[in-house]
Amino acid sequence: MRVAILLLATACTAQTLAPSAPQPLPAAQTAMIDTTPKARRRMVPPEVYLRAYLTWFGGLVPLDVQNRAKPKGLFDAWDDYLAALGLPDYKIDLPRQSQSNTLMLATLGRLGEALCVRAAEHDLHAKTPLDQRVVFAFDPAGDFAAGFDVLHRTFLGYPARLAPPDRLARFQALFASIAARHAGAKQPLTADETAWAAVCTALVQHPEAELY
Amino acid sequence: MRIRAALVLALVAPVALGADRAPSLADYRYFRALSIDLLGRPPTTAELAAFEQSDFDLDAWIDTHLSGDAYAERLERIYMDALRLEVGNSFAFVPNAVVLRRETIQGPGGAPLYIYYRRGQRRLDPKIDGDFCLTQAETGLAFHPNGPPTGSATPVSQEALELRTVVVKPWWLYADYRASEPDDFAGADWPKRFPGFVPAPALLVEPDGKTRTTSIRVCREEAQTADTGTVYASGRTPVKKGDPLPPGRTTPPPNDSGLARLAKGRAISCLSGTGFQNSIECGCGVGLERCMPGAGPQNDPPAFVMSAKTPLGANLPFDANPQPQSAWERGWWSEEARHFLDKIFVDDRDFRDVLTARGTEVNGPLAQFYRFIASATCCGPGADAGYTRPDPLLDPATVPDALVPEDTATWLPIADRGPHASGILTMPIFLTKYGSRRARAHVLYNAFLCKDFVAENVKLAPSDDPDLTKRPGCSTCHQTLEPMAAYFTRVAESDWTWLPATLFPMTQPKCQGPKSSGLCKQIYDPAFDKLRGAYAAPAHADEGPAGLAHELVTAPEFAPCVVEQVAQSLLGRSLAPEDDAWKTSLVKVFVDGGYRMKALVRAIVRSPRYRDANDVKP
Repeated sequence: MRVAILLLATACTAQTLAPSAPQPLPAAQTAMIDTTPKARRRMVPPEVYLRAYLTWFGGLVPLDVQNRAKPKGLFDAWDDYLAALGLPDYKIDLPRQSQSNTLMLATLGRLGEALCVRAAEHDLHAKTPLDQRVVFAFDPAGDFAAGFDVLHRTFLGYPARLAPPDRLARFQALFASIAARHAGAKQPLTADETAWAAVCTALVQHPEAELY
Repeated sequence: MRIRAALVLALVAPVALGADRAPSLADYRYFRALSIDLLGRPPTTAELAAFEQSDFDLDAWIDTHLSGDAYAERLERIYMDALRLEVGNSFAFVPNAVVLRRETIQGPGGAPLYIYYRRGQRRLDPKIDGDFCLTQAETGLAFHPNGPPTGSATPVSQEALELRTVVVKPWWLYADYRASEPDDFAGADWPKRFPGFVPAPALLVEPDGKTRTTSIRVCREEAQTADTGTVYASGRTPVKKGDPLPPGRTTPPPNDSGLARLAKGRAISCLSGTGFQNSIECGCGVGLERCMPGAGPQNDPPAFVMSAKTPLGANLPFDANPQPQSAWERGWWSEEARHFLDKIFVDDRDFRDVLTARGTEVNGPLAQFYRFIASATCCGPGADAGYTRPDPLLDPATVPDALVPEDTATWLPIADRGPHASGILTMPIFLTKYGSRRARAHVLYNAFLCKDFVAENVKLAPSDDPDLTKRPGCSTCHQTLEPMAAYFTRVAESDWTWLPATLFPMTQPKCQGPKSSGLCKQIYDPAFDKLRGAYAAPAHADEGPAGLAHELVTAPEFAPCVVEQVAQSLLGRSLAPEDDAWKTSLVKVFVDGGYRMKALVRAIVRSPRYRDANDVKP
């Protein structure tokens, strides 16, 4: 009976909870969120790419590049490459290409290889004084990391120490394998000179050189 | 006020690199992106070394490089991509009044001899009127348009040679061709003085392939120098299609035009195409300066060695080979537009000038074009309305006298081209690239208002209504397009000939009756009894391209469109709805800065959006 009365009393009592103002949660840590739209890295405009080549390889004019690279079958003629590089042709309303394709990469690779080989001939094989070199402005017989850093800065725009940690080792392995494959060669480039040309070519063709 | 100040601060706040630490990978990438966009190339190792110095001031570096050729070229590229201001062989600019072709005959001694001539040149002798100046009887050869001669060459007599031809020292061989005794001959110093001016090798040697050409022999009429001739009427019976050719001719002689029949003996300008077609007294001028050379008898013979493609500008040529004079002219028209854009960016002028400015800059080839060549396309059927002295878009009297045709390197300003001029809208490259009035309006609508025409989705009903602003399925676009196109009513299509209101009223009384003349079909539209292109907005016709330029630069979409074009190009992506507030702030910077690009580009490249434009990690 007592229990029934107690239950009845409890059920009949109007106990209302008044709403309380919401309290902000205490801040634990502040983080900035970048909500701006992102895109994949953009392609270096082909005009810039051409100017970069002309700058990297000694301030050449386009016809000089062609004249230097053509005689050894390393290059044909600019007109064969300009559309493949992604340049627009306003005369026929061909727009500039904003994405790379295999033909473009092959073209850039061929161009880079041609000029790296010619630069190695000029700078290293001809033993050009350091201050007159166009690309390999370091002692090729010295520390690989120092020479690689010069090329890395030249082509990718930042020191090699900020690159992914395995990059130096991978390029050193490339250098060693090319040098070993050309061991004993003296013309047109020695084994080490060929290996430096390969390192140069690999950096010129690196995706970071073609994007920004 | 506080909010505004905060907004401005946010826009101009420098992106700190941190003076007390070495640059991070992100810093290097930012600097490389800035170099690519403002210097037109990645940074050199020396520039990177400077960047790494603790006292390097990136803001100052940015400000220093918001000028110069590479910066201008970067911005120019945005608008060249939008407007594509180059024309190729599809636009054949080969006016007979301009092109000097050449035939090879046997000289009096039996050796080959070049003779230059203009096809269509009027001559008194009916055997050679409108044709080569030596006959088959005199040379043993029959001369055909666009092809080699046929027959067996016989030595021309000295008498015929002297009678029909004269020796001239032409402008392409002598920079001082206007002197009484020209002696500034194309020599070893020309490549340095006139870079890019290289006549085709075939123009520089005699037929033996060895002897250097120092003067040329040209038909006598072509060598005339008068500015004004008189209208000539042969009085011959008009030749009809199928009539036998007169003896010794491979082409029919020219018929007398309507103008010749009506105005025989009246003075006519030798600079116009109409003068060339209707006078026997009009030649190529002093040193043949009104004509362009051609090394052969074909329609558009080789004339100058030049690059067909110049993606890095005319001063950094790629493959070069002999090209016809039409390519020479088209190339310089395009260079004028590039140069005009570059000057606006380098001098940081009000960008609205691109559409409204009356000034331009010209070099030697353009000076020659505007002085002597441009009027060669005038006046066609307009001659029937008495139009024989062109009312030009660029007044030749404003062209600096100092420029010789060879001088490709010197660019001099023309402060005011004349009352019809309006930015790129009245430049030959724009008017030929976009030949029709509608094409001209359409590309401007795209490039400067960032809008396009999209047809409505309606069921098409058959209609022959010539008024496209009313025709179902057409009207949604043409209600906007036609009034814009009407601003180009008085600029001939695929040409730059201005049709003045004094001679070409909106309605031509001559065309009220049976409409048979070229005037009534080509310049007036029989469907509307009005000037072609004007029907949707006759008032726009008299405002001309300058009226459209004013409409565009005062449109509310103009500044946002400029911001969108520039920001999208520098970010390498389309602007998204999340960018709206940023875009609005950039529009304010651009407009408050007097529509100058430097303030806009500075605000973009210093923004976190540019610095962190992508999320790719190494």
